[in-house]
Amino acid sequence: MPCVLEFQQVTKEYRSLLGRRQVRALDTFDLQVEAGEIFGFLGPNGAGKTTAIHLAMGFMRPSQGLGRLLGKPFGDKRARGRVGFLPENVALYPRRAEPLVRFYGALNGLNGAELRKRAHDALERVGLLEDSSRNISRFSRGMLQRVGLAQAIVNDPELLILDEPTSALDPVARVGVRELLLQARQAGKTIFLSSHLLSEVELVCDRVAVLHRGKLVRMGRTSQLLETTERMEIVARGVTVKSFSGATAQDGVVRFAVPAAQQRAALEQVWNLGGEVVSVNPERRSLEEIFLEVTAPSGAASAAGAV
Amino acid sequence: MKSVLLIAINFVREQRWPILVLLLWVLLLAFLGLATDAARQREDLLFIFKQVAVYVVAFSVFFGSSAIYNDRRSRRILSVLSKAVGRQQYLSGLVIGITLACAIYCFALGITGSWTLGEAGFQISEVWFLMLCLIAACALAGTVALMFSTFLNPFFAAGATAAVMGIPALLSYTSGSAHLAYIVPVYALAATVLNSSFNSHEPMTWVPIALAVAETLVFWLLSARIFSYVDIAVSVE
Repeated sequence: MPCVLEFQQVTKEYRSLLGRRQVRALDTFDLQVEAGEIFGFLGPNGAGKTTAIHLAMGFMRPSQGLGRLLGKPFGDKRARGRVGFLPENVALYPRRAEPLVRFYGALNGLNGAELRKRAHDALERVGLLEDSSRNISRFSRGMLQRVGLAQAIVNDPELLILDEPTSALDPVARVGVRELLLQARQAGKTIFLSSHLLSEVELVCDRVAVLHRGKLVRMGRTSQLLETTERMEIVARGVTVKSFSGATAQDGVVRFAVPAAQQRAALEQVWNLGGEVVSVNPERRSLEEIFLEVTAPSGAASAAGAV
Repeated sequence: MKSVLLIAINFVREQRWPILVLLLWVLLLAFLGLATDAARQREDLLFIFKQVAVYVVAFSVFFGSSAIYNDRRSRRILSVLSKAVGRQQYLSGLVIGITLACAIYCFALGITGSWTLGEAGFQISEVWFLMLCLIAACALAGTVALMFSTFLNPFFAAGATAAVMGIPALLSYTSGSAHLAYIVPVYALAATVLNSSFNSHEPMTWVPIALAVAETLVFWLLSARIFSYVDIAVSVE
């Protein structure tokens, strides 16, 4: 798979006016996003996610290292023309929604009937067609975010870079955006999604990376990250809950987890008690658990080696 | 080029209320001028016309020093520069936008000046040449302000612009050499307007206009160079 977004040992430092104070927002950051995937970019506030996105878009220059966006160095305007970008805090010029989306489409070189059609389609996809003749200064925050999304997709981009695209949306609109992302992936687009909504990331992302204090602390396929080989979940029938520590029972089925090394002993215990093993699977964790683990105060250092 | 024009028109659109107020001010003064006994108060009319005309240079500095700051503070700059728009194109759009905003003012002033000064018996053939002088001065002053605003806040950018425009004027005044005012010819162009007596025998020199156009290009290139190093996503507060 070709790389559409690549960071190579990128470091970004912010300095105060006189250079006395210095904050390292990104520290020798490496990342590759492959074409056709939905990539989840996670991290607590201040981890450096937005800095990384702004570097990729060419809004700022790295202090060290380099990166490529769609095969071009960061900041190349031709590459940006093939990208759709939604910033964290959507800020657009106050005018009617449809002319506004057309304005941003025209900045990407679209014109004429094609531009009008694309603007119309983009507003339809984000569910704002009925409000397209209203001035966005009267829009709610959620509607603004949807206009922001419309201006990001108006040029039919190869790569969508979305910084918190659903933070202001209601659950129905969130589902709509999720479907839009899945449709885009089906159409061969790549999506780079920065979000705090871990359940959403878990649902749509093929791969995720967790950033903490400017460093990449965990990266991998979502399905692999969520499964652990260290603990096994055993589901059994015909045994009592009290026989196994931490076990839960539901509809006559007992469920408990044991360290992988004790799996055999646990299974034998079930059989010795006259029970029946229904299933044995690697324990599945939530993305939230992984996130909390790697971003815990001591997590950055210990997890760095696990990348 | 299309994106440059879009940014320019967008700038004028964003500044439509200040521009409208300025146009109303010009119209109000014109009606007051027409309502007076123009033939008897012709010198007063000429004085007011020239004063109102040179104010546009100050407006261009105001527009130039605040354009980038406003877009950065509101974060709207991100939605523009996330498209296939280079920073140089963005600055070009702003320079054209500032010049366009000032040209609208100058156009209104040219029309109303032609009415009122014509009524007062002045030779008005010079009015449009003077308006051209002002537009050239505005383009240069706006570009200098824009250049400073790439790394200074609007207040300091306006101050620095005033210094760049004022020092050649001061040197010219103290040394008595008119040529020194041509180093940055904003003052020379404004002086052309202020010293005009609307006498058709006055010579019209295009040198300061040509110099202003050339220097606008130089300052635009300089601002593009500086702006290419600026982290635009960093808070400007």
